[in-house]
Amino acid sequence: MAKTTAMNKPAMKILIAGVGGQGIVYLSNIIVEAAMLAGIPVSVSEIHGLSQRGGVVTSGIGLGEHCTGFIGKAGVDFLIGLEPLETQRCLTFLHKNSSVIFGNHRILPYSVNAQMAAYPDVNLFVSYLKEQCKEVIYIQNFPENMDAVLYNIFLLGRASQMKDFPIKTLKMEEAINAVVAGYHKEKTLNAFNQGLNFELKKQSV
Amino acid sequence: MLKQTIEILTSNQDSKKLCVMGNVAIARGAIEAGVCGVFAYPGTPSTEISEVFKYVDEFQNKKENEKSFPQQTKHSIYFEYSINEKIALEKAIAYSIGNKSALCVMKNVGMNVACDSLMSITYQTIAAPLVIVVCDDPGCHSSSNEQDSRYWGPMASVPVFNPATPADAIEMVKQAFELSGKIKLPVIVRTTTRVSHTRGIVTYGEIQKKNQEAKFDRLPEHINIPARTASAHIRLLDKLKSENVLSLLKQNSRIILKGDNAKLGIITSGVSAAYAIEILYQNNFAGKVNLLDLGLIHPFPEKEVLDFLKKDFKKILILEELDACIETAVRTIAQKNNLQVTILGKGFSELTATGEFSIDLLSKVIEEFSDTSFEKNKNIPLENSEKFLDKLPPRPPTLCAGCPHRATYYLLKLAIPREQNELIMCGDIGCLGLGALPPLKMIDTINHMGMSISMAQGLYESFQASEKSKKVVAMLGDGTFFHSGLSSLVNAVYTRANILVIIFDNRTTGMTGHQPHPGASRNPKYHEIEIAPLLKGIGIEVAETINPFNVRESFEKVNKAMAHQGVSVLISKAPCIFLPDFKDSVFKKMKIVVDPERCNSCANHDDVSLSCSRCYAPKNNLSRAKAKLTAEISIPGKAQLCPANICNHGFFNSILEGDYKSAVEIVRDKMLFARTCGDICHRPCELFSKENNIVPIKKLKHFVSAIEENFNDFSAPIKRAKDSVKKNKTIAIIGAGPAGLSAAYDLIQSGYDVSIFEKENKPGGMVTYAIPYFRMDKAGFDYETVQLEKMGVKFNFNKSLGKDFTLEKLSNEYDSVILAIGMNKSKTLDLIENNIPFEKKIDALAFLKSFNQNESKIKAGSVILVIGGGNSAIDAARSAKKLSSKNRIVVSCIETETTMPAFAEEVKHAAAEGVEFIFDSYADRVFAEAEGKINVTLHSFSNKNHIRDLRSDYIITAIGQSAASSEIESLVADGNSRVKSENSFTGYKNIFAAGDISSGNNMSVIGAIASGKKAASGVRKLLENYPFEYEGEKALERLNSNTCAMHQLGSTIIGDNIKLEIEKYNLHQACQKCNHCIDNFGCPAMVKVNGKVQIDMSRCNLCGLCIEVCPNNAIMWETETV
Repeated sequence: MAKTTAMNKPAMKILIAGVGGQGIVYLSNIIVEAAMLAGIPVSVSEIHGLSQRGGVVTSGIGLGEHCTGFIGKAGVDFLIGLEPLETQRCLTFLHKNSSVIFGNHRILPYSVNAQMAAYPDVNLFVSYLKEQCKEVIYIQNFPENMDAVLYNIFLLGRASQMKDFPIKTLKMEEAINAVVAGYHKEKTLNAFNQGLNFELKKQSV
Repeated sequence: MLKQTIEILTSNQDSKKLCVMGNVAIARGAIEAGVCGVFAYPGTPSTEISEVFKYVDEFQNKKENEKSFPQQTKHSIYFEYSINEKIALEKAIAYSIGNKSALCVMKNVGMNVACDSLMSITYQTIAAPLVIVVCDDPGCHSSSNEQDSRYWGPMASVPVFNPATPADAIEMVKQAFELSGKIKLPVIVRTTTRVSHTRGIVTYGEIQKKNQEAKFDRLPEHINIPARTASAHIRLLDKLKSENVLSLLKQNSRIILKGDNAKLGIITSGVSAAYAIEILYQNNFAGKVNLLDLGLIHPFPEKEVLDFLKKDFKKILILEELDACIETAVRTIAQKNNLQVTILGKGFSELTATGEFSIDLLSKVIEEFSDTSFEKNKNIPLENSEKFLDKLPPRPPTLCAGCPHRATYYLLKLAIPREQNELIMCGDIGCLGLGALPPLKMIDTINHMGMSISMAQGLYESFQASEKSKKVVAMLGDGTFFHSGLSSLVNAVYTRANILVIIFDNRTTGMTGHQPHPGASRNPKYHEIEIAPLLKGIGIEVAETINPFNVRESFEKVNKAMAHQGVSVLISKAPCIFLPDFKDSVFKKMKIVVDPERCNSCANHDDVSLSCSRCYAPKNNLSRAKAKLTAEISIPGKAQLCPANICNHGFFNSILEGDYKSAVEIVRDKMLFARTCGDICHRPCELFSKENNIVPIKKLKHFVSAIEENFNDFSAPIKRAKDSVKKNKTIAIIGAGPAGLSAAYDLIQSGYDVSIFEKENKPGGMVTYAIPYFRMDKAGFDYETVQLEKMGVKFNFNKSLGKDFTLEKLSNEYDSVILAIGMNKSKTLDLIENNIPFEKKIDALAFLKSFNQNESKIKAGSVILVIGGGNSAIDAARSAKKLSSKNRIVVSCIETETTMPAFAEEVKHAAAEGVEFIFDSYADRVFAEAEGKINVTLHSFSNKNHIRDLRSDYIITAIGQSAASSEIESLVADGNSRVKSENSFTGYKNIFAAGDISSGNNMSVIGAIASGKKAASGVRKLLENYPFEYEGEKALERLNSNTCAMHQLGSTIIGDNIKLEIEKYNLHQACQKCNHCIDNFGCPAMVKVNGKVQIDMSRCNLCGLCIEVCPNNAIMWETETV
């Protein structure tokens, strides 16, 4: 729930969750830049000690005065999940008014691979989320031929089309232009726009 | 990074707002303060600070940037990653003494390494400012402890700043530089992970451009001698009381919230302040408390805190992570000043000295402290979320796909398997520490950085005097080796420790983000130090550099290094996947594919329900994979098939692994007679192979089943029979020979009710009566057969077909009947039948039976002619010789020595025992002489020439057997061993044939066993729609068609050290139970989908080692089609 701060500006927390290597910090960089461009106070907290070794990475973004990037229970207003299991692991941070977008790019942890544990039932999780949260977008299939490294940007694109996303699309595009260097810029903008224009009807859950 | 580097080097007259990480803010603070040199050792959470300067260094050293960025390159900042924190701080101190301002950066535990230099410089003096940044890690996200670095303040008597946000960090670092310069004392800026790794809005202002000329003043303080130290201590403490410090204490003790008439006071510092402020604002409670945030915490701001305490609060709450540093100081002030205010700190609510605080934790604490519920402001959590959070698989970090460390661990796993010995493996800090986690699990100890070599030598020393004295392994990264391993290695050489040190040289400091080190500088500015000559220089005799991806070649080197007495070192050298060296080395435009046919499939068995060797294949059986690398002879499993369908591959590999019990169990999965077959099997599995290129299965079977303890334990098959799902169907088996018994063995385990009818008074058939005792362990055979009774088979002895029951009767009364009677009528030669009196001629079977029952009536000193070249002829000949050594035995056979069907070793034995052989011969004329002798004329079989005449007392014919009756002889069975209904003998459809009559094979136990199994599967197909075919058909055909080839087998001698001798073989085939790559290699790019391994090309880094790893050769390169 967006609350009012002492300065009467809405505070909001965004959480990006996934696995090391999925571009979580990269995504938060773009959001931070967009917030700066939009004049929104911003603060980020991330733990990436062993991120490159396939561990869990989360990045919390606080928008508004006196709002840190630290995340508490039921404290996330907007969740962007780059991996289903890691999205599910963030469940305690969600609340009834949260918006969630996540993609079905599964990265199996060792315990699942070695058949010591089962990967959670994603469809079951999606229907639960839809029951519980304000708006839930689940990308079951990413566009064919899209490089997996761009899934994060695609999700960000689709996220910025959602009702409660706090930053205007124009600012997001501006931010990508500012953050992304060289020849990656075009690919990134393209993936962002593909996400932005993605129709959900094409897929069934 | 270029953008960040330019930004951070740019001076802004009009301040500029940016959102940056705490660590970047610290770097900017130092730059704004005009820092000249930075000395660091990387370590989370401090690393990004030093990385800023690494990039600055690279940027400023690029010639072209001097022109494009004159402002940013003018004031050049020296930077180095020193080999460890001690050297970094020592060098920073010296740099300052040379009148250049210095920054020294490290993580919490780094200060332990550096502190020696800190503790005395404070008694002396520095010249230019020196700021030490230490980053703590409450919650140990990436550290070996959560020590509280604030203690260095009182410990070393230096000022300590404790910023709460990136904005604080910039300001405090600048203040620290200024203060240090003024009081000539190092100043510490201490952060925690959440401050270092938080990004927040900061202001980049102007960069000071101080002209710092290098100079050295010969001050007496530079010489630290005892005469000066006592007075130096007084001077040191005075520095902390100076006005410079006092004014900063005032400036940094900030009352952030000032509620009107508030009765609640909070004193806090660091990230706790950030948490508290957010909580208070978000819950509209900011106006109801006073909050004092302390930025400079040593010396403690006594005056400011006392003023705060005097504000007539009801309660004071102290919020600080880790130890009660502030709390203790506040309590001391209150006590000294006799203040009665209630002070709450550690122990109140959920405040502890361990781990991190969080929004949730402090929210609860503040609610409790203020007796107010924030519930109305809180979001409504999701319902029943627990069920979606339970049992979520954890995701521990893992070595990357393609990581050379995984390659090294895998190599070590094969070369020095830990399951089989007590080897202790001491690991160290860094990426290689991930080798402690499953599936690698190759580490027993990890301590602080650089301890591994000391750990190994200390452990070696503690065992040294005892019988258990052994080599201990130390493993550390190349960065760690230079950081602190080298001095310990020198100690190990010096003290003659018996250790193996493995340096995981991935050409970088991996875990912290690929910083250079002396062994891998990647910069011409630095001299790169090669490890190998260094080792030689300190006197290490065995020091090898290995490529961990070349497992074959490195394997031997590991063994050699392990075997060396003394210090041996292996440098496992291959670049980290993040380095260009790695990326350049891999195949481009290739991908790696898995052949599903060869991954997790079984070449032997369709049916795994009865029981499968898979149950015994030990999960950690590494021998299979090891054999792939080291064996001299590689034989596909299908080349050595068994008619009883024993998994020879599993059997052999269990022995390779030293698991002899499992080997016996694998035999017993499929049949009863492990020991008997070890004695007398015709070993069709060893057919068709060139000499010496066969795994000596029979000998191995003999070897493993000779181990009494394992042999005697029949609990597994008995349990299988007892636990089987009962079919409530009855089976009658006629004949208790190996065929009938084998059919019974399979059927009883499949849940059938099995009864055996045997005409003799004990089971065994030909094995009991026709095989002489000296060729096999009769008691062992009896023990094997008696197990069937324990499994529930009912025996009816002295019941013979035709006399006690008819086939029709059984066919009607039982659901199925297996006719497993042998060919117990010996074939005869007319020449002998017609010319020799009854008492002088004996058939081989009758003779062997009388021999086995000790009833032979042949007189000692007789001459006996044995006609025949098969095993029963040799058995008869040897038996006759054993009756009396005075007997003269002559064997005449039409075959030559090399073509006769008898086992070569049996012929050898017989010859050694004195049996004479006349090969290529036949009896042309035979007549009985008047005085009772038999006169035989032998001619050559090939050219019909006369060989010689012979006078003998007896003739034993051993030219094969036939069935007891012609009706049985004429039985015709279908492919399922079912007796064809159109057969004249019977119209019944439930009769199956097994044993000699089913195939006509001659005296082969394994053939009989196989036919019994085949009949059993025929029965099951009839009675339960059993979907599988008898699986030994191929081997059975081989057995029946090629008995002669057996003779040519070289006999491979298996000596005492069976393991060593068989290690030259690799008997490989796909195995359904195989999980080798997942269980032992664990590359994150390998995923198992529906029981088959797949390579996730989005994660694969194309190192290609999995191709070597797969024992089934199921993984291969494929050119990527675009």
